[in-house]
Amino acid sequence: MNTPLFRPFLLALLASTTLLSACKDDNEDPTPDEDNEQITTLIYTLTPVGGGTPLTVQYRDLDGDGGTAPTIGTLTLAPNTTYTGTLELKDETKTPAENTTAEIQEKAEEHLFFYEPSGTNLTVTRTDKDKNNLEIGLTTRAVTGAANATGTTGTLKITLRHQPGSKNGTFTPGSTDVEVNFPTVVR
Amino acid sequence: MLFRAPGHSWSRLTRWLPGVVLLCTLPLGQLAAQSAAPSGCSLLLSGRVQDHESRGALAGATVVVLETQQATQTEPDGHYHLDLCPGVYHVQVSFVGFTPETVEVRVVGAVLRDFQLHPDAIALKGAVIEGQHIDVPTPQATGNLSGQALQQTRGQALGEALQKISGVTAIQTGPSIFKPMIHGLHSNRVTILNNGVRQEGQQWGQEHGPEIDPFIASQLTVVKGAASVRYGSDAIGGVVLVQPKALRDSAGTGAELNLVGMSNNGLGAASGTLEGNVRQLSALSWRVQGTVKRAGTMRAPGYYLRNSGFEEYDFSAAVGWRKANYGLEVFYSQFNTKLGILPAAHAESPSDLYAAIARRRPLETSGFNYAINRAYQQISHDLLKATGFVRTGTAGKLTATLGQQTDYRDEYDLYSARNADRAARNRPALSYSNRTTTGELFWEHRPLGGFTGSVGVAGTYQFNRYADGTRGFIPFYNNTIAGAFAIERWTRNRWQLEAGIRADYRTLETRRGTRDTLGVYYVDRREFTYLTPAASLGAIFDATPHLTLSLTSSLTQRAPAANERFSDGVHNAQYELGYDLVPGNEALGPETAYHTGLTASWHDNPRLNGELTLYQTTIDGYIYQRPILPPVINIRGTLVSWQYQRTNAVLRGLDLGATYRLAPQWEVGGKASIVRGRDTQEDEWLFFMPADRAELSVRYAVPERPATRLTGRYVQLGSYAVARQTRVPADYTAKDYALPPAGYVLLGLEAGATVHWGRLPLNISLAGSNLLNQRYRDYLNRYRYFADEMGRNVTLRVQVPFELSRQH
Repeated sequence: MNTPLFRPFLLALLASTTLLSACKDDNEDPTPDEDNEQITTLIYTLTPVGGGTPLTVQYRDLDGDGGTAPTIGTLTLAPNTTYTGTLELKDETKTPAENTTAEIQEKAEEHLFFYEPSGTNLTVTRTDKDKNNLEIGLTTRAVTGAANATGTTGTLKITLRHQPGSKNGTFTPGSTDVEVNFPTVVR
Repeated sequence: MLFRAPGHSWSRLTRWLPGVVLLCTLPLGQLAAQSAAPSGCSLLLSGRVQDHESRGALAGATVVVLETQQATQTEPDGHYHLDLCPGVYHVQVSFVGFTPETVEVRVVGAVLRDFQLHPDAIALKGAVIEGQHIDVPTPQATGNLSGQALQQTRGQALGEALQKISGVTAIQTGPSIFKPMIHGLHSNRVTILNNGVRQEGQQWGQEHGPEIDPFIASQLTVVKGAASVRYGSDAIGGVVLVQPKALRDSAGTGAELNLVGMSNNGLGAASGTLEGNVRQLSALSWRVQGTVKRAGTMRAPGYYLRNSGFEEYDFSAAVGWRKANYGLEVFYSQFNTKLGILPAAHAESPSDLYAAIARRRPLETSGFNYAINRAYQQISHDLLKATGFVRTGTAGKLTATLGQQTDYRDEYDLYSARNADRAARNRPALSYSNRTTTGELFWEHRPLGGFTGSVGVAGTYQFNRYADGTRGFIPFYNNTIAGAFAIERWTRNRWQLEAGIRADYRTLETRRGTRDTLGVYYVDRREFTYLTPAASLGAIFDATPHLTLSLTSSLTQRAPAANERFSDGVHNAQYELGYDLVPGNEALGPETAYHTGLTASWHDNPRLNGELTLYQTTIDGYIYQRPILPPVINIRGTLVSWQYQRTNAVLRGLDLGATYRLAPQWEVGGKASIVRGRDTQEDEWLFFMPADRAELSVRYAVPERPATRLTGRYVQLGSYAVARQTRVPADYTAKDYALPPAGYVLLGLEAGATVHWGRLPLNISLAGSNLLNQRYRDYLNRYRYFADEMGRNVTLRVQVPFELSRQH
């Protein structure tokens, strides 16, 4: 142990033990996931063109992935009616709630919504366009036909494709940010 | 012998080991016949016997001419000489701790013939009996990779390489992530020791491979079955020991370069080691080592697996000061990797998910490139270790080890942020850090009568955090473990008995950020304490010099880990939920394992050598992860979903490995392993047990010719067969997203040689795997739902040892 060279090693060992001591943030609590971009809520509002009470249908999942299942409303439309539709998207886990609609509007050239009804007499067309003259789908026109057969319900699938740098008006590029299926009936 | 994990620096070990050990492995008759040359002939057969690994001379190795029974031992410099009549002879060279080698020698004039022996761990059991410090509890079945067998895995991930050992498989996620599985148990139940320090990282995903550069190791050892007394209560399934070579103890400087190239994914790896021992200060030794590895898109038969590239940069350094009565070593290593995650798992609706699973190939494939796009994982791990020993007079030896390691894991989702500010910050979706401090104090008492043994205390302090603002998946937790253990071994004649006992006290404190059903954020704090016991009994009986039987039996209790209780959320497009968070579940308690293993090994035979292990592990309160159906839905779509559950389980199985020397140049090898896992509570099979598998190989060693540039030439043809797993829970289509895939057979061919290029021996090998470019999927791969395994691959490996200082 008297070898002079041994001492630096001893010092190195001592120095390393300071690294080993507990760090000061041991008792910290986790903070909310502010950087985690979510869409908790999607509201589709349909206003009859000829006037009347607007209809809304909503997808809402406030506690994030898993946990309590999302609440998904049912859309009940009148037959042979034309509606103007608007979409609203929010992240309600943030305080105040984050307005996702505005972000999508701001980057409209990266986003494209798809409305795919099935099993019900409904057609939805997009009525808004981005700066490249490609449709967006935040505002729409929905036209219903004959009522559903008794006891049947169809669906309306709303999909948001996020297509940064690749939007060409088709579904294929990019990835899906939203996909929601609303039970839909014309009655 | 402290810094050394078992099994290296053979030449040095021999100095420590009394010659008695030699007697165990050598038939006495051969020694008696020493130098009894038949009269009249004096053609000289001579040469040198070396350690293939260290190139050091082997003094006292036995050289026997089988035909004449002439024998001799090598001199201190490794040289031997024998006088022979003209003819063709078989010469066998053996040395304790090494695999014996037999070659054919044609003697027409004076013949010079050198031997390089490969270390062999089985024979080293002799060293344990002599009271050497060896970390492996010997009654346990062990398997290891070193020398050429390890060389044949260079370039592979740790978990992939370990699959060469029978009974070891891997939970796989795509081409680059392998988590070792021993006898059907994995993750929290397998302890990995990286250079003597327990590897701690974020164990929470099955898609987390061990953060270790396999190039660090000169030997990989797997202890199959519970080894909790020595390694802590988590080692129910077994232990993986990653063991670097001992620091150099002979003056001079040496180096080694390893190069690997693969055809399938364009993998290139280079790893270099430089080591030295200071001539003026013989106690001082050092080593630096580094690895660079890069791989591009992997090719399954017919298509490329999009975004499957990865890169890895690692380095380590060690410095040691060693005297007879004390020693100190400091080691630092860093591991960095970036891994692409296949996009195939992202599905947007239940119908899309099932369509993706039903598809023969993923919808999105790509061309070949080295780019790593979203989604990807970025991981770094660093370890600082200091260890020292003092011989406590005549009483024994005291060893202390301190380790500090940090594991960082950032996971980037497929999707980047929509919000411009967030996108500009480009933060990972999951960003974890895990810091662990470990310490161990270990005292070995000197042999008393037939007894040797040790006592130790061990402690761990760990805390796990995620970065502010990122998504929580595993909660914040602080984990403290304090353990004490004692192992005593009694040896007499052909018997060795071992008993051990351990207790671990553990606290787990969790702080989990979550939201109530109205989306209001709150922190859920919980605290748990456990006292878990472990005990083991083992016996080894050397029935004959060629047959060893060992029996081990143990009890272990393991406290559940944070991930098993509180995983919550989406991770690589799959949803996971911990046990405690499943509605209706109570807090998860410890699981208790009873393990029994019986191993028979027949060794040091000229023709047939092998090992058979039978085992049974009963686990009360077995914690496991299973798929949940219907899948969880979020606003982006549908997720393959998993949940932790508990039940009672029994796992039984066998591992068989054997080699048979058909002729001096021909050797046939075979391995097989079978695992049967039953859920005894539900009376059905367990999820995700490895399917039955077997391996067969034929190896031809080309006869050596004197004075040639090529030595050690070999060709090896092998096949690896895995059956379909048919033993799964009843009504399986309602319980998993896909049925277990079909069985498969893969064909491999390998050839290698040592090319003597000037004074440099270049060890070169070329290995082809999946030669028939078979399309297959494996039940234990989490991406089996979406993609096939790697197609044909040809690997070129070059290993060059350099001696930079003047040789004596």
